[in-house]
Amino acid sequence: MNLAKTTKLALLSLSRNRLRSFLMMLGVTVGIASLTALASVGEATRQETMRRFKRMLGTFDMVIIEPGGASTRGMPSLATVEPVLKFADAAAIAAEIPAVRQVSEMQFAIDLDVKYRDKATSPSVIGVASNWTEVRGEEIAAGRGITPDDVASLARVAVIGQDVANDLFAGENPLGQTLRIADVPFQVQGILASRGVGPGGASMDNTIVIPVTTASRRLFNRDYLTAVIAQLRDPTQSERAIADISALLRERHGIIPPADDDFRVSSPAAQVTQVTEVGSTLSKVLVGVAVIATLIGGTVIMSLMLIAVSERRREIGIRRAVGASRRDIMVQFLIEAAAVAVLGGIVGVLIGVAITLLITMLGELSPAIMWSAVGGSVLLSAGIGLVFGLQPAWRAANIDPIEALRS
Amino acid sequence: MIELQGISRIYMREDGTPVPALRDVSFSIDRGEFVTVRGASGSGKSSLLNILGCLDTPTAGTYRLDGEDVSGYTDEQRSNIRCRKIGFVFQSFNLLPRTTAVENVEIPALYVGGRVDRDRALDILGRVGLAERAGHFVSELSGGEQQRVAIARALMNDAPLLLADEPTGNLDSAAGESIMRLLAELHREGRTIVLVTHDDGVAAYAQRELLIRDGVIASDRPLPGVSGRVAAVPATG
Repeated sequence: MNLAKTTKLALLSLSRNRLRSFLMMLGVTVGIASLTALASVGEATRQETMRRFKRMLGTFDMVIIEPGGASTRGMPSLATVEPVLKFADAAAIAAEIPAVRQVSEMQFAIDLDVKYRDKATSPSVIGVASNWTEVRGEEIAAGRGITPDDVASLARVAVIGQDVANDLFAGENPLGQTLRIADVPFQVQGILASRGVGPGGASMDNTIVIPVTTASRRLFNRDYLTAVIAQLRDPTQSERAIADISALLRERHGIIPPADDDFRVSSPAAQVTQVTEVGSTLSKVLVGVAVIATLIGGTVIMSLMLIAVSERRREIGIRRAVGASRRDIMVQFLIEAAAVAVLGGIVGVLIGVAITLLITMLGELSPAIMWSAVGGSVLLSAGIGLVFGLQPAWRAANIDPIEALRS
Repeated sequence: MIELQGISRIYMREDGTPVPALRDVSFSIDRGEFVTVRGASGSGKSSLLNILGCLDTPTAGTYRLDGEDVSGYTDEQRSNIRCRKIGFVFQSFNLLPRTTAVENVEIPALYVGGRVDRDRALDILGRVGLAERAGHFVSELSGGEQQRVAIARALMNDAPLLLADEPTGNLDSAAGESIMRLLAELHREGRTIVLVTHDDGVAAYAQRELLIRDGVIASDRPLPGVSGRVAAVPATG
């Protein structure tokens, strides 16, 4: 008997006992629906996390050099970091490490009063190089960013974030106005495009950027940096670049292993991967639970099939008498089990996709239907039908036709 | 067509005692014969029919069917023989419920390979006088009609041997008689028919009678035979 005929027979037989077929499908449907939804929502969440990190970090083709050893935690600011990472270190990295396209020096400070007329706020104040917008993938919404001239001439100019613009200049055009950072006057020459919230959920728009030279000599009076961003020529070479930069800085700082480094070099791409892996471990656990639910669906199929087999003894006897072999009967019941499981799986996928769309809509995530999960679900349900159909099909095939016809 | 040589069938009780159902049975049936097998219940009639129908294998002896020694055949081989050579007609019709007449007729064709020929199934239904009822569900048919469907099913793969086990046992006399006329007609066309019955009127359609008693052939005699003439002896069951 060929597969098409057997499948037709199986569907016919399923359609003649709708309630049982529905119950058989149900378990698989529930399992597959949750599997599809969990995998897809997990993927949507992962993509959203990646997007947020990208917004915070700009581009991923860079490594970040920060002062302080491996144990340092938290956002380093001028007040907290060790004064070890100098402008000359940044220049040396740019000059001597071939993998580095360019470097961008940063001085980061918090808790500074910023005033405009009678209004005050305390955003992060960042001294940056003129290539900062490029390296970080920042955009200027209005006016202009920090220019090489600004950096060279120690200009007292500032580019402000959206939050600062709102807090200090509500309704007014900030461009050309003069604000005071710790009582030093700066002219606003640009406004940063909004970057929304970071991975932690805090606003990334509460910042003011000024030329790093101005920051160092006219505002903070510090000659060390809180971070150097080194943009790479080839993003895939970050491991190599980290090793080279570390070696160079050890040499420059006179550190001989096993003495601890007084700096850290890290790749944001690697960190993001780590964070998203934590999330994906959780979703793997959930997916495991959904797989178990699907397996329970399989046992439902098995028990209902066993009942069906004993109810259909006469049918089996008749088919055997008119020429069906054991294998024909076995295949018939296996296909029935697989068909009911696949139907259940397909319904489950549809429900799962609907749930995903609903959740992503409510959670303001962009929907990411994992088609691999969808395909996998259908295969999984076919497999479950076959595996759990095996025992009932075996029993059906081994019914003695003489006995079955006598009953 | 059928050649039995020293056939025995011994069942084992659970305690290991052997129970012989058939003992050293030998006879042959030529192609085109219409033979009735008679005997009391427990005589070994059913065991014989199961072996003739390749549903069971003999404990000893050889069974040649249509020139093939099938006594040592595997389950798979016997399925194949049943499919191609044997058409069963049962007392209780044994049609699939919730299935139409024509679908029942097609079942044997599922197991020969190749495509299922719906036109052939309809033709055969026409031959047994059920052309109009082809699309009806089995439950909508009378007993006589159901038995006609069963006979049509037995003919689907053009089996040369028909095994009929009390085919009129569940029918009223009129329906029983028309079923017997149909079998007689199939016999005239050259099919070999083995008919198990208790009913003298039905047995009278056969040309030869085998009587089984206690697992052996007690008598083997020719009957005058009404097959060929139309039902001179009315069915009484």
